[in-house]
Amino acid sequence: MSEHVKKRFKRGNIPVYIALGFASALSIFPFYWMFVMATQPSAAYNSIPPTLLPGGMLIENFQKVLNTIPFFQAMWNTILLCSVVTIIVLLISSLSGFAFAKFSFPGKNFLFICILLTMVIPPQLGLIPQYYLISQLGWLDTLFGAGVLFLLNPLGIFLMRQYISESVPDELIEAAKLDGCSNFRIYRSIVLPIIKPAFATLGIIVFTLVWGEFLWQFTVLRDPSSYTLQVALASLNNSFNVDFGMLLSGVFWATVPLVVIFLIFNKWFISSITEGSIK
Amino acid sequence: MESVEKQQHVSSAKESRLSEKKKDMLSGYLYVAPFFIIFGIIGLYPAVFSIVLAFQEWNGLGEMDFVGLRNFTVVLQDPLFWKSLYNTVIIGLMGTAPQLIVGLILAYFLNMAAVRFTNFFRVTIFMPYITSMVAVALVFGVFFSSNETALANYVIGWFGIDPVSWKTSEWGAKFAISLMVFWRWVGYNTIIYLAGLQSIPKHLYEAATIDGANKVQQFMHITIPLLKPFILLTVFMATVGALQLFAEPTVFLGSSAFTRDEAMTVVMYLYRDAFSLGSFGTASATAILLLIIIVGAAALNTWLTSGAGRRKKGA
Amino acid sequence: MKLKKSLLSGLLLSMSALLIACGGDEDSASGEGKDVTLDFWVFGATNYEDLAKEYEEENPDVKINIKTSELEDHHNSLFTAISAGTGAPDLTMIEVDQLDRYREAQDRFTNMYDLGADEIEDQYLDWKWNMAANGEGDFLFGLPTDIGPKAMYYHSEVFENAGLPTDPDEVSELISTPEEFADAADKVLEATDKPMVDSMEMAFRANMDALEQSYFNRDGELLISENNGVKDAYDYAVELHEQGYVSDFEMWTPEWGDALNKGSFGVEMAPAWLKGYMTENAPEAAGDWRVTTLPSDFAGNWGGSYVAIPKETEHSEEAYEFSKWLLSPENQLESFTESGLFPSTPETYEMEEFTSNSDEYFGGQNTAEYFAEAAKEIPEVYKGPKYVTVNNEVLTALRNVQEGGDPEQEWEEAVERIEGLIDR
Repeated sequence: MSEHVKKRFKRGNIPVYIALGFASALSIFPFYWMFVMATQPSAAYNSIPPTLLPGGMLIENFQKVLNTIPFFQAMWNTILLCSVVTIIVLLISSLSGFAFAKFSFPGKNFLFICILLTMVIPPQLGLIPQYYLISQLGWLDTLFGAGVLFLLNPLGIFLMRQYISESVPDELIEAAKLDGCSNFRIYRSIVLPIIKPAFATLGIIVFTLVWGEFLWQFTVLRDPSSYTLQVALASLNNSFNVDFGMLLSGVFWATVPLVVIFLIFNKWFISSITEGSIK
Repeated sequence: MESVEKQQHVSSAKESRLSEKKKDMLSGYLYVAPFFIIFGIIGLYPAVFSIVLAFQEWNGLGEMDFVGLRNFTVVLQDPLFWKSLYNTVIIGLMGTAPQLIVGLILAYFLNMAAVRFTNFFRVTIFMPYITSMVAVALVFGVFFSSNETALANYVIGWFGIDPVSWKTSEWGAKFAISLMVFWRWVGYNTIIYLAGLQSIPKHLYEAATIDGANKVQQFMHITIPLLKPFILLTVFMATVGALQLFAEPTVFLGSSAFTRDEAMTVVMYLYRDAFSLGSFGTASATAILLLIIIVGAAALNTWLTSGAGRRKKGA
Repeated sequence: MKLKKSLLSGLLLSMSALLIACGGDEDSASGEGKDVTLDFWVFGATNYEDLAKEYEEENPDVKINIKTSELEDHHNSLFTAISAGTGAPDLTMIEVDQLDRYREAQDRFTNMYDLGADEIEDQYLDWKWNMAANGEGDFLFGLPTDIGPKAMYYHSEVFENAGLPTDPDEVSELISTPEEFADAADKVLEATDKPMVDSMEMAFRANMDALEQSYFNRDGELLISENNGVKDAYDYAVELHEQGYVSDFEMWTPEWGDALNKGSFGVEMAPAWLKGYMTENAPEAAGDWRVTTLPSDFAGNWGGSYVAIPKETEHSEEAYEFSKWLLSPENQLESFTESGLFPSTPETYEMEEFTSNSDEYFGGQNTAEYFAEAAKEIPEVYKGPKYVTVNNEVLTALRNVQEGGDPEQEWEEAVERIEGLIDR
């Protein structure tokens, strides 16, 4: 935090602040509106012009959510699912990224292109065969079945390859090898500390992706005790008799933890910037 | 004695270097293996299944019938397929190109050492990616409703523009959806660029400052070239993402998503084939056509971007 | 090496954590010494969870696991399970428009007649029952749950200002044919400057839901190229539009909700389930709306479901016993009073609680009796597996007409699109 104090406000940067402030305001508006709706009765959603100030039903609406769905159970399932998937994706991606960036082996480029190509398969069509596969493996109703699809993350491998090849100097690896370090040791004690900011970036992207995904989780999880947040929230939304106050209260409180987690990961970004400025 | 020792040393070094090479190869294969193992278990079967389906007539429940290339001719002769491809490309251009440029600028601002509150800005700018689609759909639905009283119509009224029916007019729908795509993904790209900017060693900038280069020069000659791999990545991702566009238009258009053609994208077209027409054959054929288009477009875009970077470097 | 091992085991551990975490949950859910667990998939707002608890108390050896979701998600995951041939529940709700899609997969459902459904056939409305049977009448897909008989919701203040009667019986007497409906619309427009109908879809549905034969016959042949009722329904909607009687409030949008709240149009033709939405989302209009019978040419059904038993289940008898109990006239009355699911058992309409029902929101009127009356006049309809998609093309044509398209040309283009679609 101390480096923040060092930063002085400069007049020349005013346009930058205006641009960033404008972008922030636009970005945050739907989130704010979601909060407003979470504090209003259902009918506020229909009012024209729209309601823009919070009302007094914050607790009441959330109480309704708690009465309708197993909110905290679902949140625990979601946190468990997202954390494990994120950790595994970070491991797989950084290991493969390291291999693609720093080792030479026959077929390297071919394999890399194969990984990228898996990205272009539209996911919507795979639903039935994937579901069939998961049910044959006995993974229906398990968080494992709900998470396994997300372990394939070509973006992560690409991102890690790029980051490692630029920010981990070859000389450092050579030197470590001369000292007799195994490749895995190099990965652990040299590569991992350097790529922390990339971990923060990829981690938050994967975590958010799994947190917000609905269709697959909904198809695989059928037992209420295994529900994730998105699946549980879906039962709040039924078009014939929808209570928007309750629905948006559920959606809002299901998003708040993500913001908190992002704030925590945020520190990692900062540490890397600081390192740079000290050098 | 000495020379023999030396020789031995050299040869053992050679040996170890050879085995080092082998070790590297082994590690390389070992480290990339998890992805392919997982893909082999859960990704391969659906992919093969889709390819097989493209040559069958199947409604998801009954027997499959082999029909050869008929699915492809049906799709290629359907004007709606071409319309959906056109829509996808237009929305892709309007929604993704600006998003990359703005993302880059925002990331650059956020990475400036002299700017304060970056912590706050970083969180808020990433917010759209976190915000639930339900909330996004409701907000955009209200802002761009088809009625004359829609907020968006009020805003364009200031500029003397007549009200637009945002959900049912050719350009109204495309514009609103592009804006939604832009809004939702800017922060995402900003974060990736930010990771890229942080991989650039800071001493390069310090050296450039000493040499008297100004901020714009530094941006053009240090930032852009060193960020190139990340730019390539986002261009590739954005191309794939744009051609697979599905969530934003479906959510924005709601119940009329699959009935109108102003904003039907290719993936929506194939989804409708599969899940409401029960025609999995033509849906799979469309998926394969889309796959070819995506590979082509991604290759072209990445080639163009890397080519542009190279030329700049040379100049 | 050591590190590699520890990392690998960490990975395995975290993966197995996921499996164990959930496996454990499942055990605790299905345990408790119950002999049979029935998975039951439900959509929309029902009171089936409460009823299931009641049933569990009466039958301690049966445990019922309910999964509730939204209509579209529900049917998509059901389709996925039925198509993959694995993972379907023991019991599932199927909405009436979705039912025809599964006719081809008859072998994946249990024939309710085999379980003794013919014994309770008399309890249910004929048209509702027959729509779940196959063409030969020897296979029954499911037992009837609720139905959606349409009635006319009208805004009493708008009617009063237009010089029309406001008493439900007088209104239904005045508006008893499509022509009289148009006449009333004219008066409303003249006097209040408000449209009678909220959207082209409703104007079209007015006749459409009343048709015995719509787009397809049971052999799957497309009927609309010849002149059948669909074109007439289309023409009627176009005519109302040309007179200025139709607005452009799309159902479920905020503008539509606002219009209901403010009484921006005169009439909504909808089933009983709209009541729940109105009380929750148009509270300012409390006391303004009334319900009456539609002209008999408009009498139709919109929505409602069945409970079916997929073939996969190992407990078809227990599942049948439960669904029989769940959908009995007495429990349908409970579902009606609790969740507004309109009963498919005419017996229920005579029950004390049903006839003495009064709706605060509708000025103390007993709206139920108007829906009950409408329920008896409904034709038996065959919709066909591609009904929704085909119908959407006609709706597109109607929306284009509203935006200035030529009605005949739009119709021809819609027919052309439909012919291309069903060819797949």
